Amino acid sequence: MKNILEQLPSLVDQIKSLREIIITNIVLIGQTPAPTFREKKRSKLFMERLAEFQVDEITTDGYRNPIGIIRGTDSSKPPIFVLAHMDTFYEKDRRPNYTIKENAITGAGILDNSLGVGVMTSLPAIFKELDIVFESDIVLAGTIQSIGKGNLRGVRHLLKTWPTPIRGAICIEGVELGRLNYYSDGMIRGEIGCSISEEGNRLREYTPNAIIILNEVINEIMNLKISQRPRSRIVIGRINGGANHGKLAPEANLGFEIRSDSYKVVKNLFSEIRDIVEGIGHRHEANINLKTISNLKASRLKHNHPLVKQAAEVLNTLGIKPVSKPTESALSIFLSRKIPAVTLGITYGENRYMENATMEIEPMYQGIAQVIGVLKAIDGGVCDEQ
Amino acid sequence: MNNKWLEKNTFHYSDFKDLNRLVEEKAKKNLKISLCLPTLNEEKTIAKEIIIMKSELMTRYPLLDEIVVVDSGSSDKTREIAREYGADVYQATDILPHLEQFKGKGENLWKALYITKGDIIVYLDADIKNIHHRFAYGLLGPLLLYDGIKFVKAFYDRPISIGKKRMRPTGGGRVTELVIRPLFSLFFPDLTQLIQPLSGEYAGFRDVFERIPFPIGYGVETSMNMDIYEKWGLDVMAQVDLDRRIHRNQDTKALGRMAFVILKTFINRKIRLGLIDLKDELYEEMIQYNLVRDHYEPDIFKIEGHERPPIIEIPEYCEKFKTDRQQLQKFQEA
Repeated sequence: MKNILEQLPSLVDQIKSLREIIITNIVLIGQTPAPTFREKKRSKLFMERLAEFQVDEITTDGYRNPIGIIRGTDSSKPPIFVLAHMDTFYEKDRRPNYTIKENAITGAGILDNSLGVGVMTSLPAIFKELDIVFESDIVLAGTIQSIGKGNLRGVRHLLKTWPTPIRGAICIEGVELGRLNYYSDGMIRGEIGCSISEEGNRLREYTPNAIIILNEVINEIMNLKISQRPRSRIVIGRINGGANHGKLAPEANLGFEIRSDSYKVVKNLFSEIRDIVEGIGHRHEANINLKTISNLKASRLKHNHPLVKQAAEVLNTLGIKPVSKPTESALSIFLSRKIPAVTLGITYGENRYMENATMEIEPMYQGIAQVIGVLKAIDGGVCDEQ
Repeated sequence: MNNKWLEKNTFHYSDFKDLNRLVEEKAKKNLKISLCLPTLNEEKTIAKEIIIMKSELMTRYPLLDEIVVVDSGSSDKTREIAREYGADVYQATDILPHLEQFKGKGENLWKALYITKGDIIVYLDADIKNIHHRFAYGLLGPLLLYDGIKFVKAFYDRPISIGKKRMRPTGGGRVTELVIRPLFSLFFPDLTQLIQPLSGEYAGFRDVFERIPFPIGYGVETSMNMDIYEKWGLDVMAQVDLDRRIHRNQDTKALGRMAFVILKTFINRKIRLGLIDLKDELYEEMIQYNLVRDHYEPDIFKIEGHERPPIIEIPEYCEKFKTDRQQLQKFQEA
């Protein structure tokens, strides 16, 4: 491992020499739209690019997650996964147009996660050019249906049906360089819909207003007791409704997320929100319902797990300060299956969910070097000891 | 009318996606290929074009030997960015500086002939938003694989919406359909087979480009089609479907000025060929009107329509390309 760490700083410049190939992959991937549930075009492009880089095996699993396998030198070793989700938050049905400046690339969806997929697509070319080989097979997995209502279906299916043990995994996210996620909170994402039927309210003195009803729901959620230990919180993240300024809102929707170290607490809070919704529904005779959009169980690696320690050392060697926070991503699916995994960010950026999302180019080379460093650490056996 | 041309000389870029074959053919014929990007304030798109072409057609497949940017004096960061990403960048005014200076796309293309070293030159507009390396290899395919073809033009789907989810491709743009195609139908029916005669992407052998004049502005594509057709006939030309090109939309007035230049180029060509006898000189001003408060004000654009002679007539050019030209001639004879 010491040897790998010593080589890392020089690796950055070698990776930089492949700048055009890496940026081309990011741009070609990013300009191919992939809203959740419609990732087919991007998946096809991803596989075509892997084929062009002569990846040993390219296929899709039963759920149509595109996969490339770079064969390792020791067939007895289980494979190592590198994963980036294919879908982007930017769901408008038009082609994103990326702009490249001296040290930045701008375009919708680039940070989450066109950059991650573009970098993953470039790994075979980087390994080849830098003469990097692994004992394990490296599985490059672009998982579909990750975000929002996708509820990580792609990665869940991939790991559920993968036929062999998995040695370890790295999940790649576009930003932020320095993130070293190794645990995830328990989480339930829900949506409360309220609609007022015109017919049922014709004889009432006051017609209810869907927005006001949801406002009551919010007030009652705010009154819930949220525990500090286990650390928990409820985020009211999205609201929409109404028709125009002068009309009582016939419909409204509220999106929220409950997070906690403990999944039991998450479930209890969700159940309390269900009671609130039912109570208010009765009170107003309104059609109000609660849906679960996605959920995750809390899972974690210990902070002194060799993978976490080595990953932190890789980041430190490259002059990157590791920052650990919980994440609600593919990582939790690996961890819940007892597969050691971490999530790494590739570079810095801004306007993450906006049309003008922007990534910095220069730090990306460090970001890629850290991925190679951590892959080498897993290949060297840091996940085998536990 | 040679109506078999459309079928015989029209290709799809995917016919040439075997890049190894193109590279082999290029090596076998000992050819050099230059990509030229004429620019004027293209900082938003120039880097993307250079990076993708360099990655795919230089680093991964050695098809291009150089990428050259010829700039008309951009006031934004076009030149700086192009240099940062490894293109050879020139200001048009610095090339053959002793000649009278003009400003325009045609001027840049003409001067590019002097500073590039390729036997084949690919010209791509620098404002292509959905740039892909097919734009270059698609144009190179017929030139490398079909011996008789010397000049290749691009055409595209130009999708317009016909309902919520349906799109259909049209032929050319508005100027093509309203100006060029009627003119070609009247005077050069053979050339109507060019689906998009005004497309800004084309490639050809140096010995074709060096022997034709270049109008300095918008008229360059029109004159190129007509001159190549007149000199060598339709069979040296081909066109390639490059799928879809997302381009900058121009307003009707800008298209009006474009149409003015194209009409003028066309009429001048016809006069030169003795096919039209005009009793008077053509005017050099395009006059358009704007409603300002309660009255109309004219917008007058003076468009002189200068034209560069075939560059082979420029002594410095002959001097510079003597050796290379002889080699190419030998190859062609062989």
